[in-house]
Amino acid sequence: MMKWVLMLCFWNAFVSEAATVNTSLYILRDSIHFDNGAALPYATFNDVNAFNAKNARIEVNVGDQLELWVVNFDSDPHGFRIKGETSAVTIPVGDSVQVLYDCNNAGVFIFHDPMNFPDNASVGLAGMLVVKDTQHTGFYWNIKEHQVGYSDSVFTGSSPDWMSYYPDHFTINAKSNPNINNDSDARIVGNVGDTIYIYMANTGQSVHSMHFHGYHVTIVYSSKDPTQIGWLKDSMPIFPSETMILELVPDQPGEYPVHDHNLVGTTGGNIYPQGMFTTILIAP
Amino acid sequence: MRRFQKTKERLKASGAKLKYTFLITLTLSISAVSYAQIDTTVMLISKVDFQPQYELHDGKIIGLMGYTKTLSGAIQIPAPTLIFEEGDSVNLNMWNLSQGAPHTIHLHGLDVDQANDGVPNLSFEVVHDDTGSYFFEAPHPGTYLYHCHVTSVLHVQGGMYGLLIVKPKSNPNLTWENGYEFDNEYAWLMSEVDTNWHHDSIINHPHDPQAMTHMILDYKPQHFMVNGKSEAQLDATPIIASVGEKVYMRLANIGYYANHVIFPSGMNAQIISSDGRPLPNVVNSDTVKVYPGERYGVLLEADAEFNDVVQIDYVNLNTQQITNTQEVDLTVEGFIGVEELTNVQNLVYPNPASNEVRLPLEGTWSVCDLTGREVAKLHSEDVNYSVSHLKKGTYVLRNTKRPDWVVKIMIQR
Repeated sequence: MMKWVLMLCFWNAFVSEAATVNTSLYILRDSIHFDNGAALPYATFNDVNAFNAKNARIEVNVGDQLELWVVNFDSDPHGFRIKGETSAVTIPVGDSVQVLYDCNNAGVFIFHDPMNFPDNASVGLAGMLVVKDTQHTGFYWNIKEHQVGYSDSVFTGSSPDWMSYYPDHFTINAKSNPNINNDSDARIVGNVGDTIYIYMANTGQSVHSMHFHGYHVTIVYSSKDPTQIGWLKDSMPIFPSETMILELVPDQPGEYPVHDHNLVGTTGGNIYPQGMFTTILIAP
Repeated sequence: MRRFQKTKERLKASGAKLKYTFLITLTLSISAVSYAQIDTTVMLISKVDFQPQYELHDGKIIGLMGYTKTLSGAIQIPAPTLIFEEGDSVNLNMWNLSQGAPHTIHLHGLDVDQANDGVPNLSFEVVHDDTGSYFFEAPHPGTYLYHCHVTSVLHVQGGMYGLLIVKPKSNPNLTWENGYEFDNEYAWLMSEVDTNWHHDSIINHPHDPQAMTHMILDYKPQHFMVNGKSEAQLDATPIIASVGEKVYMRLANIGYYANHVIFPSGMNAQIISSDGRPLPNVVNSDTVKVYPGERYGVLLEADAEFNDVVQIDYVNLNTQQITNTQEVDLTVEGFIGVEELTNVQNLVYPNPASNEVRLPLEGTWSVCDLTGREVAKLHSEDVNYSVSHLKKGTYVLRNTKRPDWVVKIMIQR
């Protein structure tokens, strides 16, 4: 009898958490600034009507229904879709569209502008929808690289030559070393024994091979290769448009780097050190 | 390590001037005091080439940064492979004789503590003329890397990297305790070389503690390597196996490109481990994709004789296009079975051999071809044997006094 009461309580708790999530994204254009002083024209999805190169992140729980308005405040038409989940829609200049999405599966999904793919997404219009089935502490990495000149091409209406792509800036949440550690969404902080989830999306066009010092992590979700779920790794590639969730349970205190092991990714504008390098800080 | 550093500080403060050899002795003895149960002590010397000496497949000679085990040893790609047993307490000492930049040893994948992680600022760096000591307990059996983490994009490309292998205590021919037993193994560390990054101004870049940044060139490698060799150089390092022989391949990538390693389907490749951990699900795949920093363990077992190649595609991570392909010969010849190959196989050197080979025992060895037919006998009063009269091929050797000692050699010229 008691078992049934407990199960009912858990079921009610689960049902009561499912909700309708109303939110909006605003397409805005400005610039992304790198730590070496370089800047590129950039457009992003923002959760308020103010530009932030970081891109908004939408966070929901499994079972929620997402009711999303996307507003185009840019001077060019754009598109929107949740990659692999919803159909592409076009948003004329000054217009908006509503996107409804049932968040039935846990994971990380990339929402982006699919027009002229990958051109528009490459200039910043790609963010993360995180559908959670756990309340463990989470950190969020929107991984991306940039090549000077490419976004100028896109904004002037021509398509870059992706076959000669050689990016020169590498970011997590639109920041590079050492400023990634100033982003509380990105910089992993915790204690020995914590269960920490790292939600990653590669919104760029290059493969990045992320290496963890100090710890192995468990792959708990991969949009590209689910056969790798359960693998214990210290280095793993994340492919363009791939999303992953990693579980970290630190077993020792300290400060340990995480970085792209294509070490060119730890530079910026041909200067070392910059790029995709952050540190994990674990207290005893 | 901290005790050692403090001791050094006291010595320096007192103005004591120590000969390097004495300093090394002191290093070892103090380390031994600090860690009473040290099982293994290894010394690596970090240095750079002041004159280019490393020959590439096209005859071009480049300079390297690297690690050697001896003062006189030439820097090679990769650096010496370090092999430990699971649970060993290891003291890894480094003496920096670079004349310039500081160096470290990052123990990639070993999950050592912060003090021993080899990352400047977060642990410690070793300046020219100084020594440093890394302590760790060899963790899970598997394949790991070590490399310099100072200005790592330059120092790794410069050549400061090697393999670190941890074997199970009970049996070196096991993947891990209660894992897979194998008869023979190969370890491939793959990388690239951009010769423009080996210019003397980079390899011997000055060390200015105030200069916090370094300019780098665009990375456009021209040489794509397996264990520091490419193209015709790889002819000297084929894979030789018998039908039914279990071969364990350790694959690792320290380059800045991806490696797609493609085995002939007849080798029945099974991916069983990665990054020093068994995989929860064995993957049957002829293609193993190894990205920068990753390692994979692959079991091979042929069910028929054949000659083929293992193909290694080097893939640009930005365009995902194959930039280069290397090939390593693979020969499956003969059948394993009359006698199991034993650990004594590890004492055969060099293998493949040309004119002389070192065997585990002195005396007389019966030389049989892979069908079991005796074709010659080898005699020596020490462990070095002339094999210049043997034709090119693979042979099974049995010691006449210890017939249970059976080894396999390949003759190649």
